[in-house]
Parts: sequence; structure tokens; C-alpha cells
Amino acid sequence: MLEDQDMSVQEAAAVVQDARARARRELVISTPLVYTAWGLVWLIGYGAMWLSVRGQHPYTGPSGLAIATVFVLAGFAVAAVLVIASKAVTGIDGQSVRNRRIIGTTWAVGYLALLVAAPAISGSVSTRTLAFISFAGPVMLVGLTYILAAALGRSRSVLALGAWQVIVGISCAWLAPATILATCALAGGGAFLLMAAVETGLRRHGS
Amino acid sequence: MAAENELDPVLHAPVRLRVAVTLATLRDGDSLSFTRLQDLLGLTPGNLITHLRKLEDAGYVTTAKSGRGVTSRTSVSLSPQGRKAFDNYTAVLRQLLDPASTNGTSQH
Repeated sequence: MLEDQDMSVQEAAAVVQDARARARRELVISTPLVYTAWGLVWLIGYGAMWLSVRGQHPYTGPSGLAIATVFVLAGFAVAAVLVIASKAVTGIDGQSVRNRRIIGTTWAVGYLALLVAAPAISGSVSTRTLAFISFAGPVMLVGLTYILAAALGRSRSVLALGAWQVIVGISCAWLAPATILATCALAGGGAFLLMAAVETGLRRHGS
Repeated sequence: MAAENELDPVLHAPVRLRVAVTLATLRDGDSLSFTRLQDLLGLTPGNLITHLRKLEDAGYVTTAKSGRGVTSRTSVSLSPQGRKAFDNYTAVLRQLLDPASTNGTSQH
């Protein structure tokens, strides 16, 4: 391309449009992909656990296969999100990178705390309390992490998603273990998939 | 910076406009490495340096070097003045493209 070639207004508009589309495609993390990955993990993972406890009398907890499914799916989702994010942010430095580190660390530390706390208290609390902490706890943690991300990135849609996940998690306090799993699968995972669809639609319409 | 209703001549060049658009995509406070910018725009280092210098002279971009030797890195970011100039440029562009708001002048 010539260095200082003269451009018409139309050509300038085309340059802006093309460069903006490319920059957004290359430099911005695709949130619809991230939401879809986590939505599927929650829908399938919590759904598999729900199917394994449905009809249990008394409730004994999800099968080992269902729990293993959750961890395998979550592992794939974490890897996918890391690949998507690292590809987009390569070469970028500054406040948003520091924010992402804070958000990632918050989620990781919180999740580790839940992984340690749930087995530790399993012998001294009711199965319903343990189910609430083990299944709804991660949903509330993700919700709070999204609220933190919204505060740092000034995003209303992320705030709405985070607040919804916290509400979903809290609502599980009144539910039986099997219903907690169904609620997390449908209301939690469904919210991620709905948000992915909304954001994809908004991007197509250039918002 | 150009007058409010004129296309800024510093930005009104294909390469510099693409540089500005790319840097404007970043969040406030973020910078992009010289090599990633070069890769995104498909330019030679010399060509990119020439245009960055013009943008820097206008106060629209800032460059910062960090590290030494093989770990050295040059970061480029849009300055607040550059973001304002780019926003004004796109606003004028929209105005010129919209027949209803055109005042009979055509930029070329």
C-alpha cells in the first residue's frame, strides 16, 4: 500500500471498517466462544450429575462417572479459554492484562478453596448443605468473579450475567440436591448460552 | 489536530488510519507490541516506523521501549489526544458520508 496515497471519503470509510473488523477479530477475546464453552460444560456437566442422582432414595450423590465427566469437560473448557485468550492478547500489555490476571487468580483461589472445604466439612454437615456448597458454590463463585470483571472492565452485560449466576446459586439454598443440579445446569449453563447468542447477534448487527 | 469539521490530514492516509483503528480497538491504558502491530498490518518495520513517527510527532501515539537485547520490546499506544483525534475523524467521516448532514463540501 502506498504511504500517503490520496483517499476518497468512501475509501477512508472502507479502510476504517476493514481495519476495525480485523482488529476486533484478532485483538478482542471472543466472549461468545468463552460463554459457549462454559455454558456447555455447565449444561452437560451438571446435567449428567442430575441424571445420575434423579430418583435416588435416599440421596447418595452423583456417580463417579458423572463427576469425572464434569472435570474432563471443565479441563477442556479451561484449555479452550486459555487458547482463545492468549491468541487474542499476544502483544497486548497494560491495565486490561493486569485485570485479567486478578480475575483469573480470584476464580482459581476461590475454586481451590471450595475443592478443599467441601470434603473437609462433608462429615459434619447434612447432605443438602454439602450439595449446596459443592454444586451451587462454584456457580456463586463464577457469578462474583464476573461481577469483579464487570467492575474492572465497566461492562453492564458481564455485570448482569454475574448477578444472575449469584441469584441462581443463592436460590439453590432452598432446593433439594437433585433440583440444585438441574437448576445449575439449566439456569446457570443456559444463561451462558443465552448470553453467547445475544452477543453473537449484537456483533452481527455491529453494536 | 484538524478543525472539527475536516478530515485530519495526519490520519487521512491508509496506513496511519489502519494504525489508529487498530490501536483504538485496545482498551484505555493498553499498548500493543510493535511486532504484533506490524504483523496485523502486514507492513515492513521501516514502513511502520515512518508512519508511527508521523503519528508520534502529532502527539497521537506514544511508543515505549522496555527490556534489553533479545528481550527488548517496543510498545505502541494511542494517546488521549490521538483517541480524541480518531473519534473526531470518524465523526467527520460519518458526516461526509451521510448526505443529509453534508454541507456541500467533498473531501478528496
